[in-house]
Amino acid sequence: MRPAVVGPGAEEAVAEAPARRPARSSPRRSRRGSRAERLAPFVLVAPAVLIIVALRLWPLALGVNFSFTGDGDRNGTSVGLDNYLTLFGDPLFRTALRNVGLLVLLLPVAVAIPGLLATFIYLRVPGHRIYRGVYFFPAVLSPVIVGAIFNLLLAYDGPVNAVLGVVGLGPVDWLGDPDVAIFAVVGVHVWATFGMALVVFLAGFSTLDRSLLDAARVDGASLPQTVWHVIVPGLTRTIQFVFVTTMIGMLTSMFGLLYVMTNGGPEASTYLPEYYIWVQQGQFNQPALASAASTALFLIMLVVGLAQVAVLRRAGREG
Amino acid sequence: MAGRRVSKWVVAVPMALLALATVYPLVFTANVAVKTRREYVLDRFSPADALRWDNIAAAWTSVGMSRYFLNSALVVTCSVALLLLFGSMAGFALARLRFRGSSVLFLGCLAALFIPFQVIMIPLTRVMADAGLVDAYPGLVLAYVAQFLPFTVFLMTSYYSTVPAEIVDAARIDGNTVYGVFWRIMLPLGRPALLSVGVLNALFCWNDVLISLLMMPSADHRTLMVGVTSLRGQYSDDIPVFASGVLIAAVPVLVVYLFLQRQIADGVTAGATKG
Repeated sequence: MRPAVVGPGAEEAVAEAPARRPARSSPRRSRRGSRAERLAPFVLVAPAVLIIVALRLWPLALGVNFSFTGDGDRNGTSVGLDNYLTLFGDPLFRTALRNVGLLVLLLPVAVAIPGLLATFIYLRVPGHRIYRGVYFFPAVLSPVIVGAIFNLLLAYDGPVNAVLGVVGLGPVDWLGDPDVAIFAVVGVHVWATFGMALVVFLAGFSTLDRSLLDAARVDGASLPQTVWHVIVPGLTRTIQFVFVTTMIGMLTSMFGLLYVMTNGGPEASTYLPEYYIWVQQGQFNQPALASAASTALFLIMLVVGLAQVAVLRRAGREG
Repeated sequence: MAGRRVSKWVVAVPMALLALATVYPLVFTANVAVKTRREYVLDRFSPADALRWDNIAAAWTSVGMSRYFLNSALVVTCSVALLLLFGSMAGFALARLRFRGSSVLFLGCLAALFIPFQVIMIPLTRVMADAGLVDAYPGLVLAYVAQFLPFTVFLMTSYYSTVPAEIVDAARIDGNTVYGVFWRIMLPLGRPALLSVGVLNALFCWNDVLISLLMMPSADHRTLMVGVTSLRGQYSDDIPVFASGVLIAAVPVLVVYLFLQRQIADGVTAGATKG
């Protein structure tokens, strides 16, 4: 460990540190009272705080500020809300927003699947011991790997269509049909991440009072009744957490899938805000516009997160 | 009772099918990776008639996969080492030392946790470029450390909060400095949490593609996941080699998962139950 450096500027920090109990013996010889010791907490947090401030909080402020300046010829000049007007007039960004709306609609499904599976595992269906490990494993794979694997599976002449053919259904152009592609990508994302939510649900179940379930069984409650009247109210906090994290995951961790599987296509139908930011910055060299999109994405996430917490809190109180 | 048993099986069959759907894509890819091109075109599903390693060798040597693999290994190792060091230092101080501003700093870390990378990626790239850190290994390492540090600090703080205060006091009375307490007591005590957080961070860094794409533009500096995306362009007509490349990139993760499943799940749920 690097010893605490006592140099100019250290005096102020010492003055700010709360005075510790004076040691009984000579303060100069006591380790407890020495200046290096009092500085120690600051030395310990310094690397983390410096990195977080310089590379997360500061860029956030820069980005918001940047979104009110111009691109290209107007580089650096203040343009007010111009970028935001351009943004909402851009059909690509509107597609991205429409897809966010779609994600919000699909969200209950993405939460219900792991929730139900966790319930069954908790109620010990046959084989419940292995399911947790099996379902969770795609969650550790990179979106790039998942996307690449599903590129093979969803190819027009690929295995999924071959199976559909056996059942007698026509081949589907999973990644080439603008009406289908976004569902294919979101479906793959759910396939890859439901295990994560499942594990969180199972952790929530471990805090549930098992005697309530026994009471429900004695009273002759059916499975749907047990789920609705015992499990859902008991897990409000967990459900809330999974809703918010699943939504954030959909809005921020599909880049790898989009990049590998569709590149935003076909006909720009699979854009999400994060992909839009990447394209504006990298391909069209419009960093200020991209910053406006970033700020918009941040606001969307804030609103979605707060709305979900509010709705679920009310639901929890009624339950 | 009989009704319950029947309903259990009604649930169990779809669950088994879903488990199959979870595992099969990887099995399929692994099978394709050892097939010849001809075999693949003729029949996608049949098991390969022999275990051949030519595709894997071709993928490994052809487009610099070995180079990308080493790049990833280097960057991930350095990032995780720094994350664990800085994260546990800050976690120990925030959880176990009283000093002015500690709660503000903790709240700051918590706030930083909720800033997604996509929101700051453009200004961050600028800050990094100004510092001359774009397209350099230290730059990517620093970007990863910045990205995953709030999470690491948060989990280490909650972990160290559960360590009894008496342990710290006793170590102090024995004559340890604060640094001594950290190095000799807290770091060894934190081993389970460090393992969980370290494995999760290693997975995050290894699996990332967006940060790496932004920070390492030149071909020589690519990490493995970016390499996999470029593999696709070059081998679009040779699916078995492409599948081999995908498999090479997935194997380290699968090995880690097989051995450290518990720790990964612990890390994921620690964030959930304490948030």
